Amino acid sequence: MTRLESECSIAVVVTAHEHPPTDSGSWQAWWAAIIPVAGLLELGAHCVQTCSVTPESDWKAARDYVAAQATSDDLIAFAPRWADPLGREYFGSDLATIEREARADESRFPRAFEVSIRGAHLGALADWTRDAQRRFGAVLVTTWRNPAPARVLDDFVAMVNPERLQVSIVQGNRETDCAFVGAAPVLSGGLGAGQAVPARRFTCPGGGLVATSIVADADYYPHRCIYAPPAGGASLVRLRFLGVAMGHALRGHQGQYIETDTSPQGPLVTITFRVDESIVGQAVHRAADGWKPFEFDTTRLAGRRADIVVEVGVSKGERYPYCFEANTR
Amino acid sequence: MKLSSLRRPDLIGWGTRLPALRRPYLMGWPSRLSALRLPRRIGWRDHGIGAALGTAYVVALLATARSIGFTRDESFYFRAATSYFGWWHMLFARGVDALAQSAIDGAWSDNHEHPALVKTLFGFSWGYLHERFHVFHDASTSYRFPAMCMAGSAIWTTYIFGARAWDRSAGLVAAVLLALMPRVFFHSHLACFDVPMMAIWIHCIYVHWRAQQRGGVGWAIATGVVFGLALETKHNAWMIPAVVVPHALFVHRHALVRGLRAGRLALPTSLVSMAVIGPIVFFALWPYLWNDTLARVQWYVNFHLNHNYYSIEFLGRNVGGPPAPKAFLPVMVLATVPAITILLFAAGAVDRSFDAGRRVRAALLRRRDEPPRADRSETDLLLALSLAVPMVPFFLERTPIFGGTKHWMTAYPALALFAGRGFTIALSALRRALPKLDGRAALGTRTALFTSVVLAPLAVTAHSTPFGLSAYVPLVGGTAGGADLGLNRQFWGYTTQNAAEEYLNPRAPRGASVFIHDTTLGAWTQMQREDRIRADLIAVGAPHEAQIALLQHELHMNEVEYAIWVAFGSDAPAYIVRHDGVPIVSVYRR
Repeated sequence: MTRLESECSIAVVVTAHEHPPTDSGSWQAWWAAIIPVAGLLELGAHCVQTCSVTPESDWKAARDYVAAQATSDDLIAFAPRWADPLGREYFGSDLATIEREARADESRFPRAFEVSIRGAHLGALADWTRDAQRRFGAVLVTTWRNPAPARVLDDFVAMVNPERLQVSIVQGNRETDCAFVGAAPVLSGGLGAGQAVPARRFTCPGGGLVATSIVADADYYPHRCIYAPPAGGASLVRLRFLGVAMGHALRGHQGQYIETDTSPQGPLVTITFRVDESIVGQAVHRAADGWKPFEFDTTRLAGRRADIVVEVGVSKGERYPYCFEANTR
Repeated sequence: MKLSSLRRPDLIGWGTRLPALRRPYLMGWPSRLSALRLPRRIGWRDHGIGAALGTAYVVALLATARSIGFTRDESFYFRAATSYFGWWHMLFARGVDALAQSAIDGAWSDNHEHPALVKTLFGFSWGYLHERFHVFHDASTSYRFPAMCMAGSAIWTTYIFGARAWDRSAGLVAAVLLALMPRVFFHSHLACFDVPMMAIWIHCIYVHWRAQQRGGVGWAIATGVVFGLALETKHNAWMIPAVVVPHALFVHRHALVRGLRAGRLALPTSLVSMAVIGPIVFFALWPYLWNDTLARVQWYVNFHLNHNYYSIEFLGRNVGGPPAPKAFLPVMVLATVPAITILLFAAGAVDRSFDAGRRVRAALLRRRDEPPRADRSETDLLLALSLAVPMVPFFLERTPIFGGTKHWMTAYPALALFAGRGFTIALSALRRALPKLDGRAALGTRTALFTSVVLAPLAVTAHSTPFGLSAYVPLVGGTAGGADLGLNRQFWGYTTQNAAEEYLNPRAPRGASVFIHDTTLGAWTQMQREDRIRADLIAVGAPHEAQIALLQHELHMNEVEYAIWVAFGSDAPAYIVRHDGVPIVSVYRR
């Protein structure tokens, strides 16, 4: 057995196979100071962090301010991302609407109220102009102005109702109408169950349906969209949007249910937009594309109202959980 | 203070100035105090200390067990444990009837992707400590108790290991810092395999180490038996040979070379024991393998070699399939192990690396004046391997993310032991820095140093309960900092109990239907049986069937939240369970 003794006669006993502290340089000498300081710093940091939770009163003050300022055209969004449920809880679904939360993108909003904590900001607003900032305790409300907001003329997602939309299934020369049902059983489930489908929807023979839903993109952000799963093979889902106000562009996004196979071998979905039998534009979607935008020039149709026929088909012979949104601007 | 009084070879405590204990004014009970003195040799009294530490840990786990809801996996293991215990009951009651393949398969087919030892212990604990003797009121606590005891045993062994390898202060700090890793504390509550695996891993490493030190058949047999128990605990045990084989070969390298020169291969007895006894124990304790043995072993191995992956959030992205991001393990270690533990580990590891470097240099230069190597059991090498081997697979191309930090917890006892070594260095530096302190002042200073290293881990670990999978250490900003970084919030759906405590039990309408999201029906039912969730509430599997919907926040679970929005027509939660202001469970209500 060996024993290590210090000058101050404090003993630490080690057994035969044991090692006294190696004399590996002066770094050890600092250790007596570094260790307790580091330990206490960590303790202090823990106390600060656990005591710095944003109080409810700050959220509510921010909500009252935003409620007084925001118009229906404005975006209200929360940062950091993990605080979004808190924002929805405190602001309620009247302010934190599904339309705002599950927006296709930010381009249509002329102004945004960014409600943030912990110094976070939304990357999507990075190019916008900051108009104002108000602090409510730990909550910061920043008003951003969109330098080039798009004026949306008609939003296809808002047109999923029997007054503005007709749906049918096309198989060869045969076209079968899909009836609108105002109170069908909602379809939803847990993880992997597919996109939820609301009670108001078009139901097609053979199990097809068209309805507004919410799709998660590859980063799990929500987007409102028209769930229009093509049945596969030669079958097409045909949607006829009635009296659409046309502008200079038809812009949209397309995606699919997040749990769908995203391998390159996955099926291709083709969406075609027609007006008066002529093709306005066509976009192809692969599962790996995620929530992908498309845009077609409609200048020749600008200023008039038109029925737009949208056809969705898939390259493989099985129903594909496809969703898209589109608007004219 | 006279040096001579310190040179008594038989008296020492961790950092205590033992002569002071002899002063009659200290407490007036010199004879009693002398009985408390620890001999220099690490022995049964140290096992008493280790056992006391482990027992204290088990008590802490039991005291907090009811605050943690049931994880998905636990619900499967509860069921399997009951089934396995039923078979043993049948064996004792009806003898050979229980050995028929139909009887064995009927009981042991449940959850046969994992070995049976730990679930068998869960089952016996439930059968005796809950059903028969009513030691535990909650069935779940009886299922969980064996894993808690194994956690306590890991603390015990870590203390003994550190005390024998370096000194008692190293052992004590290593044991305490291992106990006060928030994730270790969380998982130690659960009737799962991860902490039992961590425990059996360090037991196996320790017994192997003792076998190298002490030699003899007894330790060798013990190594084989413990390795068999490890194999029977979880498949992580397949990695143990990667620790002990190179270590044993290095320890016995001279004998091996001599043997080879003499034309014979002399393998260390402990390795032979592991190769022979280990599989026997593995086979003997798992009745499911008693029939169709080869096919079932092959299925078991293939299941884990081709294991599916789980989605988990890392730095704001959902990751799953292989390869795991290379930064996943280091970031998660830094984000979940208290920084002071990491710092002490770094000091200990650097110290041992310097030592190793010096020895390698000396060996290369063939210096004759270098003192002979004292540690013939190559403790540093063993601990380095025990630290590295469990972590290496997470850097391989084929390895997906199976879950969180729990899969490399087997490395944490070694990490803690190096941290214990780091504390010894700090203690030594303190003595050099304050050479004039003696008596109570010195003892107080050392106690303050000890307190300074355990306070933060204690506070962080205590605060993390029951949200152990959501909590992150102060280095990354705590729970909110972890959320800022986009680190995983939780998994296994166990926080439904917190939603029940804070919202469902006090506020849900009578007989309300509840979408329970990631919680299994088994876990939900068990929580209702134990009055954790109101018995009148009805679990449903889809948001549209529910009056109330729960959403346990995980990035890839967002799709379920959007389904709730569609089904409920609203995106505003009625209530949110939070930890440090970070959403853990959103509660939606129609």
